[in-house]
Amino acid sequence: MKKINKFFNPKTVALIGATDRLDSVGLSLCKNLLTGSKKRKIFFVNPFRKKVLNKTTYPSVKLIKEAVDLVVIAVPSRVVLDVVKESIEKKVGGVIIISSGFAELNKKGKILQERIEKVLKKAQIPLLGPNCLGIVRPEINLNASFAFTTPPKGSIAFISQSGALVGSIIDRSLLENYGFSTIISYGNEAGLGLCDFLEYLKDDKSTKVIGVYLEAIKDGRRFMKVARDVAKKKPVLILKSGKTKIGQKTAISHTAALSSSYNIYSAAFKQTDIIEVETIKELFDNLKALSWQPRCENGIAIVGNSGGCGVLLADYCEELGIKLAKLDIELFNKINRSKEMDRNINQGNPVDIFGDALSNRYEIALNNLLAQNNVYGVIVTQTLQAMTTVEKNAKIIVRAKKKWPDKPIITLFMGGKNIVKGIRILEKNKIPNYLDPREAALAMKVLIK
Amino acid sequence: MVNLDFIKSKEILSKYDVLSCKEKLVGSKKEAFLFTEKIGFPVVLKIFSPDVPHITDVGGLKLGIKNKKELEKAWDDILFSLKKNKPKALIEGFLVQEEVEGVEIMVGMKRSREFGPVLMFGLGGILVEILKDVSFGIAPISRSTAIRMIKEIKGYKILKGFRGNPAVNLEKLIDVLINISKLSLENPEIKEIDLNPIIVNNKKALVVDTCFLYEKN
Repeated sequence: MKKINKFFNPKTVALIGATDRLDSVGLSLCKNLLTGSKKRKIFFVNPFRKKVLNKTTYPSVKLIKEAVDLVVIAVPSRVVLDVVKESIEKKVGGVIIISSGFAELNKKGKILQERIEKVLKKAQIPLLGPNCLGIVRPEINLNASFAFTTPPKGSIAFISQSGALVGSIIDRSLLENYGFSTIISYGNEAGLGLCDFLEYLKDDKSTKVIGVYLEAIKDGRRFMKVARDVAKKKPVLILKSGKTKIGQKTAISHTAALSSSYNIYSAAFKQTDIIEVETIKELFDNLKALSWQPRCENGIAIVGNSGGCGVLLADYCEELGIKLAKLDIELFNKINRSKEMDRNINQGNPVDIFGDALSNRYEIALNNLLAQNNVYGVIVTQTLQAMTTVEKNAKIIVRAKKKWPDKPIITLFMGGKNIVKGIRILEKNKIPNYLDPREAALAMKVLIK
Repeated sequence: MVNLDFIKSKEILSKYDVLSCKEKLVGSKKEAFLFTEKIGFPVVLKIFSPDVPHITDVGGLKLGIKNKKELEKAWDDILFSLKKNKPKALIEGFLVQEEVEGVEIMVGMKRSREFGPVLMFGLGGILVEILKDVSFGIAPISRSTAIRMIKEIKGYKILKGFRGNPAVNLEKLIDVLINISKLSLENPEIKEIDLNPIIVNNKKALVVDTCFLYEKN
């Protein structure tokens, strides 16, 4: 554990294969690592260049005088074993191999990978990769990856078996309001694997929720133990690809004919209390909700200015097993008696405050709903009418949230151009907004324990 | 992979407290009569042949036999039908089983490369591959996982009792799942199991047919 701590929190990092050659992996690694140069010492290693980005290089990692906590290797695969051996002699704290050309390529690459894995294991040095994008830890300004950019800080940890996917997900996050504590691309999983990362993130204080993009599990038996343990402490969401739905057609037994990798993985996720999602959008919609809002018991209220939107939401809630709280007549009497209320509303959940609702109706209805003991969370919907005061409504929701921090609130502000500012107000205050009723219902579903 | 023989499969099941219906493999009508005197009617008669994996396809099964006369007729009918459909099949004998009333369910096991033994639960009988109303769990199966597997299938409503039929004994089903999970973990040479059908009623769950695939490591 101590070793993996150093790996994730290095005080010194050496990049083997540092270069200023344009459009190279080495150059993006140099630039990304330098974004954290105030937090740690960065060393560039390249025997063929005296300087890279105006920084004097070292011909070998062994010639660095200080201790090296983490080595990032981005050299052609044929020389990786040599620089790994030098790193072992230097007694570095951990190794990330970015380079590709190993088990993912051919048998020769696989043998080479196994040799590298073996020597590092013998030296008890943690290894990430090969064939990966690296790690990004916005929390401590560490970007040891060749991702396009650095994502904002936040409490989402994302572990990905695909490196390429990570780059686009980071880029997307720049347009969104959520951020990351840690992003790990683990490539061929020669050393550290999914279970190691889950175990580390379980106790990582800056991580509130963990998302995983998974292609295949290496050690299913260990995964069952670790995942269950981690999911008890933090929600874990998985998007699994390659779930062929076809069983073995030629199977003798019914069991073999009916079981496919699809339903076996799904069973494993259910058994470990992992939340399985179907799309990348759903993964990040739900990670956003879980990173910002508390979880609650089953029983919510829906309030908004559109009957249609409410009915759609109610349909999805029923399908997903989300209970709508029973609201008694006394609550509606109380709402309707309020001096600021300009029109009587009817008993029911979804609570329809009508299309011509101004902010006063939102305020009275929302605050009274949150005060109900049997309302554990609220979805606030807003469609656009001529009189709708988007930003004012957003501010009312933010105020209500501050008053009721333990009850999750999510919003369904629907529209496009005219809701941008409202969404910004909501999401800067960690109230997740969704543009589609089903997305909102799915997000509420993961918030229910 | 080879089929483990019937007697050995049932022996392993009973070792793990998975109960089967009362049954006997007999070689003659006289032997069959003697057995029915012990267990009573109604009974089921089945052809027992290594060359016939699906006995219904060749008319090798007779249900609801209520007396000796019917038993004798069933015996002759099965032999006649088998001679017609599969004349070269080797006949090892006939299986006489008590006829149990209840819902047909199935429990199965196969080994996954990643997770080890995976158990399957569903409504049983010959329609299982068409209806595909099944659920899965990774061994070891805990009580709560067994309950989840049982509740997950659409046919759960049938198990809970419908149209005047009493609910089946769910505890016995939970036990079967937990015991097969244990059996699978302790016997790595058994690669696949089908227990289909298991007949379950409000009192008990009894295995009727089995298929064990076996491989020496």
